[in-house]
Amino acid sequence: MATSSSRLLPEPTPETAPFWEGCRRHELRIQRCNDCDRFYFYPRPYCPHCLSDDTEWMTVSGEGILRTYVINHRPMPGFAGEAPYVTAIVELAEGPRLMTNLVNVEPVPANLPVGLAVTVVFDDVTDTVTLPRFQPKDRR
Amino acid sequence: MTNDRVAIVGVGYSTTGRRTGLSSRQLAVQAGKAALEDAGMTPADVDGVTLSWDVAGPEPEGLEPVNSDDAAHMLGIDPLHVSSSGGGIVFAHPAREAIAAVRSGQCHTAIAFRVINQRLSVPDLMSQEAPESELVPDHWTDPQFARPFGQVLPVQWPGALTAQRHMDLYGTTEEQFGTHVINQRHNASLNPEAILRDPMTLDDYFASRYISKPLRLFDCDYPVDSGSAVIFTTEERARDFRQKPVFVDAAAFALSWKPRTAGPESMVFTWNSPGATAEHLWKQTDLRPGDVDTVQFYDGFTIWPMMWLEALGFCGPGESGPLIQSGATRLGGSIPLNTDGGACNMGRRHGANFCIEAVRQLRGQCGDRQVPDAKVALWTNAYYWACLLTAD
Repeated sequence: MATSSSRLLPEPTPETAPFWEGCRRHELRIQRCNDCDRFYFYPRPYCPHCLSDDTEWMTVSGEGILRTYVINHRPMPGFAGEAPYVTAIVELAEGPRLMTNLVNVEPVPANLPVGLAVTVVFDDVTDTVTLPRFQPKDRR
Repeated sequence: MTNDRVAIVGVGYSTTGRRTGLSSRQLAVQAGKAALEDAGMTPADVDGVTLSWDVAGPEPEGLEPVNSDDAAHMLGIDPLHVSSSGGGIVFAHPAREAIAAVRSGQCHTAIAFRVINQRLSVPDLMSQEAPESELVPDHWTDPQFARPFGQVLPVQWPGALTAQRHMDLYGTTEEQFGTHVINQRHNASLNPEAILRDPMTLDDYFASRYISKPLRLFDCDYPVDSGSAVIFTTEERARDFRQKPVFVDAAAFALSWKPRTAGPESMVFTWNSPGATAEHLWKQTDLRPGDVDTVQFYDGFTIWPMMWLEALGFCGPGESGPLIQSGATRLGGSIPLNTDGGACNMGRRHGANFCIEAVRQLRGQCGDRQVPDAKVALWTNAYYWACLLTAD
C-alpha cells in the first residue's frame, strides 16, 4: 500500500513497544506465557489464558491463515486514494489473531478464500514506523 | 420496596431528521414532553432520569451536550431520585439503568433518553481528519493495532468483518442481505414516522455502493439528529395512566468472549455476546421464541439482526439468510422483523426505536404495519442487550 502521511499511525506504549520495535527490525514478535506455554496478542503484562505474569516476547513465524476480511471501498480518514483495500483478521500459526491488511493481491473475493495461507511482509511506512501486513503465501 | 414487574407507560420522539438545527437540549426536552404526553403524565409523576448523549462523529464546535440532570431540570422533574448519564452510548444503557432503578425501588418512575446530534453526516466525517478519540473507541482491543490497517469505523468491525465471516461459514449471500434491506424498507413505507420511505427493489440495493465490502450503503443505519424517550414505572402505578401498560418480562445484558453454538467461533466478540445475552434472557422467562409475535432487532448493519435471529433461537446458526428469503421476517410472516423500518430507515436513534416500536405493537397502535394481536415482542440493541416485552 502507498504510504500516506495522514495515516493513523500507531503510538507505541511501554507495553506495546516491543511489538513495534520488532516490526522495525522486520521481526514479528508476540508474547508467550512461560507457565502455560501459550501465545497471545494483543500485548499485555499477563497471560489472558492463566493470568500468569511470567511472559516473554518471542519472534514468531509470520505464517498464518486468513480468517475474515473486508474490502474497504469507502476510504477511511487517512486512507484517501487507497481504496479499495483489504482489512483482514489473520490467525497466526502460533494461535493469536491480529488485524492487518492483505497486500500484493488483487482485492476481489475470488482471491481471498478464508483459510488462505498468508505470510507477513513488513512495510516501512515512515523512518520510525513499520507495519506488519500479510500476503498470500503462494503468491503468483 | 422492590418492584418485580416494571412497566413501560410512555414513549416519544423529538423532531428527527438530517441537520435539524436543534440543540441536544431541545431534542431531549421534545422527546421527554412527547413521552409524558403519550403517558398522560406530568413531570410530577416522574422521579428518575437516565440519559445517554453523544454525537456520532466529530463533535462540532459549539455543540452543547445534555445530561440527565439538565433534562430533569428542564422538564421540571423535582425531586430527582435517580440521575444517570453514564453506562454507555446506545439506548440499552439508559433503558437498563431505568429498569434497574424502578425494580430496586430507587425511584418509582424513570424516563430513559437517548439523544444524538448528527450535525455532521457520514460523508462529512469521511472527508476530514477526525480527532483520534472519535474514530475508534475500542473496536479492536487497542486502536494502535487496528487504525494503521484502515480499521477505523464500526462498518468494518463489528460490521463487515462479521458479515464476511458469516458468508464464508454458511454461504450467506448479498442477495439475502438485500432481501432484508428491502423488507424493512417496505415496513418503513407503511410508517409515517420513518425517514426513508421510498420502496426499494433488490436492483436498487445492488446498485448502491459498497462502503466496506460486503456491506453497502443501504446496509448501514442512517445518521440523524434524534431524541427518544421511554417512561418506565412500577406495575402498581402503571395502570393509572393513559396507555395500556406494556411489561418488561425479561431483560438481559451480556458481553462474552467465549464462543457459543450460534454463530462463528470466537473471532470477534460481537458474535459471542448475542449468544450469551440470549442464554441470560431465556433463563428469566417461561416464554420461548415460538411465543414471540414480532421482533425489533438493532440494525446498525444488516448482519446484526441476522445474528440476533440466530442467537435468540428463531433459527439455527447460519440459517438467518434462508429464513429471511423464506419471507418469515416480513409483515404477515411468522416473525415480522423491524416493523418500523429499523434504524436504516427510522434513522439512528441508537436502539430506542426498537423499544418504542415493540411497545406500540403491543398497544396495537401501528396502523398499516400492525402485527395482528401482538402480545409478546422482543427488542435488542447493539450486540449485547435483549428485552422481552409483553402486553398486559
